[in-house]
Amino acid sequence: MTDIMSEAFGREIVARDTFEKEGVWLPLLAAHVLNAGEAVIKGKTFTDCVIQGPALVAVLDGTTFDGCNMGAASDPDSMLFTPRGPHLVGAIGLQDCRFVRCRFVQIGYTGSPQFLEDMGKSLARVGRPS
Amino acid sequence: MAYIPINRPVRVATDLKAMVFEDLDINLFELYAAVVGGSQPGLIEGRTFRRCRLQGPAIMLVSAGVTFDDTNFGDSGGDIRNLLLQPMGTRALGTIPMRSCAFENCEFYNVGFTGPQPVLDMMAGVPTGPGAAL
Repeated sequence: MTDIMSEAFGREIVARDTFEKEGVWLPLLAAHVLNAGEAVIKGKTFTDCVIQGPALVAVLDGTTFDGCNMGAASDPDSMLFTPRGPHLVGAIGLQDCRFVRCRFVQIGYTGSPQFLEDMGKSLARVGRPS
Repeated sequence: MAYIPINRPVRVATDLKAMVFEDLDINLFELYAAVVGGSQPGLIEGRTFRRCRLQGPAIMLVSAGVTFDDTNFGDSGGDIRNLLLQPMGTRALGTIPMRSCAFENCEFYNVGFTGPQPVLDMMAGVPTGPGAAL
């Protein structure tokens, strides 16, 4: 059985640039990225993946979402958080990442006031469960 | 009692379904997966953590009955607000909810905190800097 916390598994997952048709446990990926000395998840492409939390995502420059399901809640604002300080601790930074037709489960979002406003509108439009 | 820094070697928790954790290192997202399970919502309740290092990346939802004694919340960069997030909605998705859990002489690494306004206001008043702990 694969030890997902092992250094070998961490090296392997951090080295990958593409993820396709698989489940991605985002906090695990982030922990291995941090252990590799990188502050954020950078330059990876996820296609047809389920992105699993629990995790709070900080969407940084160059990250795009195409045809993704960002999650659902009766109150879509429940997926959004405002930082209280100028820096963020505990969030997972995503920079220059591309998400294509992914589904996000147990994921919250934070970012700049403009991002939160745009995301709030987007989630209100499509995020309510049917 | 006063906060005593944890200097022991790493001891990774193996039984994540335990109710009491002492002198262990714990990934919060692993703990959540073990206690709550797959993708359904749930919470971690009634656990006691003594002299543990608790690691993220994670955002802890501090709910009713959670206590912190002699605990180091982690590197805030000199401003405890950097550890705090304000929920914009009525719930808090993506967090690790904790209820009736006790943290005694614990240390947090890469963990942010959220909760009801009184909790955030209380935590915003926690002193930071070398040796400071709630």
